[in-house]
Amino acid sequence: MSSHREAPEIAKDPVADSTDLYAFVSPDAPDTVTLIANYVPLEGPDGGPNFYEFGDEVLYTINVDNDGDGDADVVFEFSFHTEVTDPGTFLYNTGPITSLGASTWNRRQSYSVTRVDTERGRRTVLGQGLACPPCNIGPLSTPDYTALAQAAVHQLPGRVQVFAGQRAEGFYVDLGSIFDLGVLRPFEQDHTTFGLSGTGLGAMAAGVNATKGLNVHSIAIQVPVTELTAGRATGRTAGSPSSVIGVWTAAYRQKVRMWDGDGHVWAGPYVQVSRLGNPLVNEVVIPMGKKDYWNAQPPGADRQFASSFSDPELAQLLPVLYPGVFPNLAAYNAGAPDRADVVAILLTGIPAGIVPGFQNFTGTTQADMLRLNVALPPASAPANTGLLGGDVAGFPNGRRVFDDVVTIELRALAGATLGLVDPSFTPDAAAGAVSQGLTSSPGDLGAMGTEHYLSSFPYLGVPSSGFAVPAA
Amino acid sequence: MGVSRRTFLGRGTLAVAAAGVLSSVPGLSGLLTSAEADGPAVDAGAGDAGAAAGGDLAEPLVAHVRDVTTGEISVFNGTREVVVRDPQLAGRLVRAVR
Repeated sequence: MSSHREAPEIAKDPVADSTDLYAFVSPDAPDTVTLIANYVPLEGPDGGPNFYEFGDEVLYTINVDNDGDGDADVVFEFSFHTEVTDPGTFLYNTGPITSLGASTWNRRQSYSVTRVDTERGRRTVLGQGLACPPCNIGPLSTPDYTALAQAAVHQLPGRVQVFAGQRAEGFYVDLGSIFDLGVLRPFEQDHTTFGLSGTGLGAMAAGVNATKGLNVHSIAIQVPVTELTAGRATGRTAGSPSSVIGVWTAAYRQKVRMWDGDGHVWAGPYVQVSRLGNPLVNEVVIPMGKKDYWNAQPPGADRQFASSFSDPELAQLLPVLYPGVFPNLAAYNAGAPDRADVVAILLTGIPAGIVPGFQNFTGTTQADMLRLNVALPPASAPANTGLLGGDVAGFPNGRRVFDDVVTIELRALAGATLGLVDPSFTPDAAAGAVSQGLTSSPGDLGAMGTEHYLSSFPYLGVPSSGFAVPAA
Repeated sequence: MGVSRRTFLGRGTLAVAAAGVLSSVPGLSGLLTSAEADGPAVDAGAGDAGAAAGGDLAEPLVAHVRDVTTGEISVFNGTREVVVRDPQLAGRLVRAVR
């Protein structure tokens, strides 16, 4: 998955487990940037009576680096508080929840948002006591969920708007196939299958969106561009370093946790337990033995993981799993791989001169951050393949909710981008065609009808209702 | 680097919470105040952002004996961690749980 359950320790701590991060110039307000950090992976919409929520003891942050050193210059901190109106009932709600103030809603969360300007050491509370919406339970409990959730979009001073609560999972991926030894259903006839027979594999098949119908908890904030850039740059010059920001999310817990009868006791400083910049990095680039450690490290220290990017394991595996499909990549891998393309995409940004009219380079500091050139306007005809599809407003220039990041990264790792930095390399034909088979075309922005994004903030779709969960 | 959860639970270390052990171990109650003079917490970072002011014992105080031999003890209270080296205190804590 993008970063769902991607490391052994954080997989056991869902409320602190960052799953996806998005950063894009807002299509309906292009002088603003929208940042969305998702947590709590793979929520079954019917997971009551204790429906999903944020962790009160978790400090959530969305971090922005605007000078390329891998350290945060602007931090948005989100802290949550849960209130139980009536501890005498087991019910999440005792009747229909028709407003965020409904007395029938027994267990509710609110939160505060604080902006930290690290250079000046200034902390500014942007909002507090902000209501989260309830989870989408069903037609009796949450009868007009769309309106209920929309009421939880809060307008804050300075043209800032925020939302924190349940959303439909926007990351589409064929989990069941990709984690079965790298099967891609559209290409399963080419898979080695390890000599097994009777597997049922062998014919080209459509992909399956494994996250269809699942939910997630999103923290979304939309702010003017000038609130994020160095020197409050307006981001009007795409070639300017000041037009590029690096973004990541991180979650923190206090160091000490102790079970004390009917609850946990926490003590000590906050330490980082989860982070996420580019999708799939800790998932498929960082090896098992370093995943928990990686989650505790700041992006600015990512140089220590550089070898996992310059010779990525998945790029080595593709020619092995699909014999004869990637002969040029296989030959390249047999030499001394130095995937400067992967390093640029994920660790430094792409310098000017590689892709005409585009750069999101932040300097030589290697740091896993989602890099967004805020000077590039939203595309009038977006492609879910982003930059690989000629759409410079898409991943890896930031990330929009509909970007097919799995396909983009698969193609890059398969060698589609290697020729950009190594003219002696000719990408295999398959590198530009490999896909998880979840979109019908680059212009398909809804994963063949399995995703229903919104055209305005918070952009991720209305969460699936528990009542609507189909029988297995 | 601070202590990972794994090392926290590792062999050769001992963690105690003030509520249960404080009264039986002379010296622990004054530890936080004395440790503050020794220097800042070992782990800066996010904790700084939310650091509480002062040692408020209305919140739990947890001591983690990181190394009995050297007497290195991490003491946690609120959002702070201070490290002290007191072999005698470490020894008393060990005896308290034997």
